[in-house]
Amino acid sequence: MNNVTHLSGYNNFVLPFMIGMIFVLSCCAIGAVRVILELPASDKKKFFLSLINPKIMAQNVRDWFCDCLFHVKLWKRNKLLGYMHSSIAFGWFMIILLGHIEVFLYTPDRIHKLWYPIFFRYFVAVNDNTMQGSFFFFLMDFFLLIILSGILLALVKRVRSRAFGMRRTTRLSFTDRIGLYSLWLIFPLRLLAEGFTADISGGSFLTMSLNHVLHSFLGSEMNMLPTWWAYSLTLGTFMCILPFSRYMHIPAEILLIPMRNAGILITHSRKGVSRLYVHTCPGCGVCIDACPMGAVKANNKDATVYLNRQLKRGNQRRINEISEKCLLCGKCSAVCQVGVEGDKLRIAQRTQIKYNLSPDYSKIDVNSLINTNNIFVNTANKNVSYTENKKVLYFAGCMTSLTPSIRKSMVSILNKSGVDWRFMDEEGGICCGRPMWMAGRLEQAKQMAEKNTEIIKTSGADMLLLSCPICYRIFKERYSLEGVEVLHHTEYIDRLVSEGRLNLSRSDTRYVYHDPCELGRGCNIYEQPRHVVSAVGELVEAAKNGKESVCCGGSLGSLTLGFDKRKPLTENALANLTAGSPDAIVTACPLCQSTFGRYSDRPVKDIAQIVDENS
Amino acid sequence: MSMFGFRISPSSTIDLDKVDRNRFKKLCALEPDASKCMACGSCSATCSASEFSGMSVRKVLLCLQQGREKEAYAMMSSCMLCGKCLMVCPRGINTRHLILSISRIYGKEESI
Amino acid sequence: MNEIVVIIGGGIAGLEAARQLLALGHSPIVIEKSDHLGGHVADWHKLFPDMKPAKDIVDELVSSSKDANIFLHTEISFINRLKDRYNIMLSNGISITSRYILFTTGFRLFDAAKKEEYGYGVYNQVITNQDLEKWFNTSKDSRIDNSAMKAVGFVHCVGSRDEKARNTQCSKVCCITAIKQAIELKEKFPDAEIYCFYMDLRLFGKKFEDFYIKAQRDCGIHFIRGRVSEVSENIDGKVIVKAEDTLAGRPMKVTLDLLVLMSGMVCNPDSTRVAGMMSLPIDSDGFLRSTDNVSRNTVSPKNGIFYAGACTGPKTVPETLAEARSAVLEIHNSIISRR
Repeated sequence: MNNVTHLSGYNNFVLPFMIGMIFVLSCCAIGAVRVILELPASDKKKFFLSLINPKIMAQNVRDWFCDCLFHVKLWKRNKLLGYMHSSIAFGWFMIILLGHIEVFLYTPDRIHKLWYPIFFRYFVAVNDNTMQGSFFFFLMDFFLLIILSGILLALVKRVRSRAFGMRRTTRLSFTDRIGLYSLWLIFPLRLLAEGFTADISGGSFLTMSLNHVLHSFLGSEMNMLPTWWAYSLTLGTFMCILPFSRYMHIPAEILLIPMRNAGILITHSRKGVSRLYVHTCPGCGVCIDACPMGAVKANNKDATVYLNRQLKRGNQRRINEISEKCLLCGKCSAVCQVGVEGDKLRIAQRTQIKYNLSPDYSKIDVNSLINTNNIFVNTANKNVSYTENKKVLYFAGCMTSLTPSIRKSMVSILNKSGVDWRFMDEEGGICCGRPMWMAGRLEQAKQMAEKNTEIIKTSGADMLLLSCPICYRIFKERYSLEGVEVLHHTEYIDRLVSEGRLNLSRSDTRYVYHDPCELGRGCNIYEQPRHVVSAVGELVEAAKNGKESVCCGGSLGSLTLGFDKRKPLTENALANLTAGSPDAIVTACPLCQSTFGRYSDRPVKDIAQIVDENS
Repeated sequence: MSMFGFRISPSSTIDLDKVDRNRFKKLCALEPDASKCMACGSCSATCSASEFSGMSVRKVLLCLQQGREKEAYAMMSSCMLCGKCLMVCPRGINTRHLILSISRIYGKEESI
Repeated sequence: MNEIVVIIGGGIAGLEAARQLLALGHSPIVIEKSDHLGGHVADWHKLFPDMKPAKDIVDELVSSSKDANIFLHTEISFINRLKDRYNIMLSNGISITSRYILFTTGFRLFDAAKKEEYGYGVYNQVITNQDLEKWFNTSKDSRIDNSAMKAVGFVHCVGSRDEKARNTQCSKVCCITAIKQAIELKEKFPDAEIYCFYMDLRLFGKKFEDFYIKAQRDCGIHFIRGRVSEVSENIDGKVIVKAEDTLAGRPMKVTLDLLVLMSGMVCNPDSTRVAGMMSLPIDSDGFLRSTDNVSRNTVSPKNGIFYAGACTGPKTVPETLAEARSAVLEIHNSIISRR
């Protein structure tokens, strides 16, 4: 062995690593600059301002640690999965960090050599100085062991993914496979390489013991250089393949976190945040299990993970297919470990579809829809019992006109509670625009919103009450109705009950509450309906509920899914709801109610209906 | 105009011999439900846009099959894609996708 | 020569079959779930085309099959197959061994509340064809206000020819039933305007067309070609019906004092349950599947099991009775050929 090369701090085997390192760093830099340049001017400003905002920065740092290194969300999902990911990510991070500390402490003259901390053990020999770092030796070995345990779990997961709480995993692409295998190889090779050199460089419980074992039957130091070469080569391979594989999520997530915390939303189908989302997708496949369309196996390939893959490849036919089929229930976004918003990404793709015919609502005369029934006259309504009453405008919505039970119950509840209210759309009205928005025709949706805003403003109402979560979401998100409170009936009923304006009687009926996608994941309303249901009967929870509730299958989000294709989705959702054998299913969306009603073996009611029956 | 010269308005007869069916065939390929309508009128009665432009999915389909595209476009001009027709259709026609597909396939020549 | 035949269902098909089997010298055992014989027909008022009271038909059938062994309030607990016969365990603890089982399990009326938009169970003025027949019989129904009957609507095809209702088949008898009921109602309320909302009028049977002409010419009933898609309620408690008059090509609405939903026929879940015990096939329309639908529609694919009546699909009363006789003949021939 040539002591000179050892001590010079350079050997040709660092070249693969250096090539990979430079390649990956330049790719990331170019990518980051590209994403930032692609942002609209206002978003750019917002982003840079967020970086000097201490509160947001603190949030960024917290998220970097919790999401990128510790994978807190994965831990919550499945402990094994969480351990597997955080052991590799955090372990690797610690090894790099400790390596640099070692170099900084013991050979500060070589810190400028980029490869040096990575191959430290090859270049140093034990002397009094480095031996003081036995604590670091221990730590290095310890974290290497942690990583190796993570790799072992990763191997097990390939064979038995169910043990990790995953029924289905992603089909890997070619580059993903190369990335995966090189990642698996990096750490065992590092152990082997350090094992061979441990008697010279020094080591701890793992590398030293391995050194003894290796020397006992291999003896020769000839193996040393090849193993270091192999280690460097796998590192180089991994880094060279990284920008083309799912492992791009590692650097991409670092940028996505500050973008998200700055509140930057998707504005373009491919550019800016969309591009970042696509690259941040780690291809873990959690969205495959989550997707309600997965009730039919053939739909598995339409999960968000595959949308991201097709977006990377630019396969337009498949992109359109996947985007138009989706129910937009938002469950993939809710479970996504890195926060990719699959539903919004799909709406952005839909905006790119070319239409020759476009509707035009400019000719619709709003005045024809305004009448004495929906305008609040200045004099107070004589039948109203409460003095400090808000003027409530009730927009039942298109779907509710096909579910008379909801409409009738709402009218009854409002009258019982002495509310000063008017119908906005008793004789029909203009659609809220959300269905059009979901179809990706945003301009048309905005036109509808303008028309409705005009009606609401003219009415003089203080509050807009909605029965349909589809309407509710767009009124909340996209309308600017200053001075008008927008409430869904679940919230309003909860308020009426807590204010003592509506008295409920409780029965022994066991109700399961279904969270409609647009109300739960869409608008974050989970608690109020449960309060109300608990007040009229016993609340039973579904197998999957809240953030992970299963779409009824009737969603307007899907454009291409035909009626017959939706049946298995509804049946699957019903099986989830009836797991606790409730007497009746309660929901808060006319569309969910109709869809479930079609296939359910027990009554399906709207929350307004059970409230009206029990008050 | 007629060769006898005494007809003052164009004939209201739908001449099926002269209907170009290619685009409708394309439509059926993109959304096979296009050929499933049994003309019950449920969609027309429930349509939110009906009072603004006389929209009716049933009539749109009929017009397209008879070569009366312009009438169809006029009806569709205020469709809000709300999905009520989808809910009531007894044949389970995916009306929203049908309307979007029509907007994609038809209308090009009109804009020239 | 005497052979036990188990008849599942004491409706008109079951009773007619029992009567014919008795006449041929066999021993029928009729198992009926409810507390009375005659099934749906027993609830009906008058039958088209002769307006014969349904009660007369049921009474005739009950009296002529009274020698049969009849179990009311009884269900099938389980059936298992022995070598060449079936062992049938009843809910009353009795077990029967028989070579022959005849399914006369009939149909179930589609649950009109499932068509939410029509407001059955929500609006007080919405009833079904069955409710109306009961009212003809008893004159008791709080939803029908004799003093205010100015306008009545009939909705055809409720739960029939409808993917959304999970029944794409035509229920066959609702068109003529609606016309019959409309005429009967018009006779009771001569001043009322009566509307029939139909998709297609399928009047195939003997003298059905005469009913149609009578309804149009003599009773002034309005026939509107359009399916009702929305029903709402006005402040006076009347229902407003929205449909398209597809012949005029324009949407229309009308205010009504009573709306009658013509609920269609769907397969009786009990017959599916019992068929499941013997792994008998179910057809794509949800009814029991015969060996073939042309020449062997009373014969099941399993030895010794026969069908009659609406358990294999919607049928009129005369068709059901004819099928019961035909099934009995199949059974009788099979018994003879064994000897």
